[in-house]
Amino acid sequence: MIQQRIREKAKELLSKKELDLIIGFGEGTLPLRASPLFIRNPEEADRLIWNSFCENNLATYLHKFNRFKVGLVVKGCDSRSVIALSLEKRFELDRLFLIGVPCQRMVDRRRVKKAVPGEILHAREEGDKIIVKGENFEIALKRDDFLYPSCQACIHRNPAKANILVADPVEEFSLAEAFPDVREFERMSPGERWKFFEKESSRCIRCYACREACPMCYCAECFVDSSNPKWIEKGLAPSDLEFYHMVRAYHQTGRCSGCGACERACPMEIRLTYLTQKLNQDVKELFEFETGIDSDNRPPLSTYDTDDRQEFIK
Amino acid sequence: MKWNPAKLEKKDLGAFFQDLMGKYDLYAPVRLTEGVSVYKKIDDPGEVDLSNPNPQKPLKEVFFSQSEVMFRYEKVEKRDRVTSTEDVQRERVALGARPCDIQAIFLLDQVFSGKDYTDVYYLQKRKRTTIIGLACNAPLTTCFCSSMDGGPFVRRGSDLFLIDLGKAYLVEFLTEKGEAFSRNPFFKEVDKADINLANEIEERALKKADASLSVEGIEKRLDEMSESPFWDRAQEKCIGCRVCTYLCPTCHCFDIADEALNERGQRVRNWDSCLSALYSLETSGHNPRPTGRERTRQRLMHKFNYFPKNFGPMACVGCGRCIIYCPANFDIRQTLKEIIAK
Amino acid sequence: MERSWQPKILAFLCNWCSYAGADLAGTSRVQYPPNIRVIRVPCSGRINPLFILKALQSGIDGVLVSGCHPGDCHYISGNYVGRRKSATLKRFLEYLGIEAGRVQFSWVSAAEGIKFSQVVGEVTEDIRKLGPAKHFVKKAESIGQRPKRSEHLA
Repeated sequence: MIQQRIREKAKELLSKKELDLIIGFGEGTLPLRASPLFIRNPEEADRLIWNSFCENNLATYLHKFNRFKVGLVVKGCDSRSVIALSLEKRFELDRLFLIGVPCQRMVDRRRVKKAVPGEILHAREEGDKIIVKGENFEIALKRDDFLYPSCQACIHRNPAKANILVADPVEEFSLAEAFPDVREFERMSPGERWKFFEKESSRCIRCYACREACPMCYCAECFVDSSNPKWIEKGLAPSDLEFYHMVRAYHQTGRCSGCGACERACPMEIRLTYLTQKLNQDVKELFEFETGIDSDNRPPLSTYDTDDRQEFIK
Repeated sequence: MKWNPAKLEKKDLGAFFQDLMGKYDLYAPVRLTEGVSVYKKIDDPGEVDLSNPNPQKPLKEVFFSQSEVMFRYEKVEKRDRVTSTEDVQRERVALGARPCDIQAIFLLDQVFSGKDYTDVYYLQKRKRTTIIGLACNAPLTTCFCSSMDGGPFVRRGSDLFLIDLGKAYLVEFLTEKGEAFSRNPFFKEVDKADINLANEIEERALKKADASLSVEGIEKRLDEMSESPFWDRAQEKCIGCRVCTYLCPTCHCFDIADEALNERGQRVRNWDSCLSALYSLETSGHNPRPTGRERTRQRLMHKFNYFPKNFGPMACVGCGRCIIYCPANFDIRQTLKEIIAK
Repeated sequence: MERSWQPKILAFLCNWCSYAGADLAGTSRVQYPPNIRVIRVPCSGRINPLFILKALQSGIDGVLVSGCHPGDCHYISGNYVGRRKSATLKRFLEYLGIEAGRVQFSWVSAAEGIKFSQVVGEVTEDIRKLGPAKHFVKKAESIGQRPKRSEHLA
């Protein structure tokens, strides 16, 4: 059992004092949630859990703890973020211990919530089902029908680089099946696409949950806070909301692991992964690059090839 | 109760809203997409959605909106012309406000009408708004209003108070301001059965509401804890976004910015958050709250120590939004319990 | 008198090649449409994608970015780095629904005065066909401005 192996490994690493801290998941205080958990003693290892609600990308916490020797429970996408961060020299990979989990893909708690007729009081996983209980209902939902958009066609569920894998690797989808949201979005006309993007970003309340949940957003001064030059104002002008979302996505070009943490964090349920998926697809097509797979490949926008495509240049 | 209640049938709601909109600016929760609602000015009666007990943007938006122009200026023939914007053109009605959100308004009243400074923007709106409260028949498990001196059927602050009976609302008139609405053509007579049903619903709701969390003595506890290593642990999972503060009905920090181009511009007030790293960053580069430790501590201290010290009540109404929407599952109930237990 | 709309195009020209090429077009008295406003930058690699977005937000109808031919960059590799940014940004903007052709790129050397005039002619025509920028433009009232006739800030 994955959970048991995570606990055993954590206990071992903390007993041997090889790590200062292990960041994993513990029981959440709400149904369908797991909570990021920070443990320092082997006795605490039994609080670690693993289930389909472990949706956070824990790599975002590495910035807070970069002076320590940290162990991190990582899914496929999370490990890619860790490697991407190490390429950007945020920390040394050898001060980290990655406990890799081949990911079963995470459940979209908001879609589950919308599929049932009342407040969910209790939820548990049973095989390939999620059983949700409310005051007047108990419903079994097929887990795979309620996955997050970023998980639905994930092609890197196995951690690319981990110190240990706590289970056998899972079979990956092919590249041809990746980026389904991009394909669907591209079926719309340009006018329809802009309308969709405009409508999604119009709900934005500039809370920056997307930015803070993202492990790759760590700038000391984000472009939104720059006053010289001032790119956008701090209010809710629709154009500024669009600018923010365009640029936050674009700043992930060649850096995004497709984890979807941005979309999951948003309190206004704004769709975001269709933006980053497009950038990931382009970077793969143009530069043969996928974030965090190969720790020797330089991030694509930090380098060049004399033979890069330029058919669009007059 | 001084005045007899009335009944508003749900089939008349659209027409009722349209009628209100004829005389007032109507503010009510609107569903932006499934699961997401905000308080905003209603342009189309069909967009009012009273089903979500915790609209992401709380009632404070009606009186203290997220982005508000304070004044505009322009140069006209080399002289400056300033146009202030605090006047409220029309009387307003805020409909569908839950007791927790209304209780929060009382807290904001204290902030914005201090003895040395009164905030005209807030107060003008406050003066010219009638509040139509809406009872919570089914408090959520994340609601802990009953632990914070509130409750799902608390009527304080409502000029009119609606109770959902199924096919209709019971309408209670609680103040002179509210009673002025009683002659509205859509308010019908109630019968004994309606009143009994309302009482039953109220009883059930009170039973369901979570009154178990005790914050007794928390102010003193926090006084003793300012240097405690507790805060290092408490803030670990916080990612430092602004969701809790923006969605909180009592949070009221703001930032003022000037937006200008050539000879015209405006001064704007926008919500700000103490959890942002830049919030207390000074021009010198010094930051008195440099890490999450100081900022998380500040948030808890402000809500449960500084605010009660300055104004009396705790700055939390137990609405539960911060618990539901926090991306990292930071649960303030858990933190409060740990503080009390120390 | 009602003035008909004229495209307003911002041209970021690299100092060593494209700007010199534009200069040559001028001294050679080659005619090209007057719709461009030039911003001289040291290198096409200096272009921050946010410049292009800011231009579109301000109501600029089209943006041209022009640099040295690959291999000729005064700073050796600036245009190569810029090329990658240009490719990804262009695709992203078109994905979002910003009309293809609003943002264009070219290599123009210091000797290519005629090419410069041709590029500007083509770009201006393309933008004229697309019409005024409509997506994403920041409405003037949102910063306390009275809406102008064309509603643009620019």
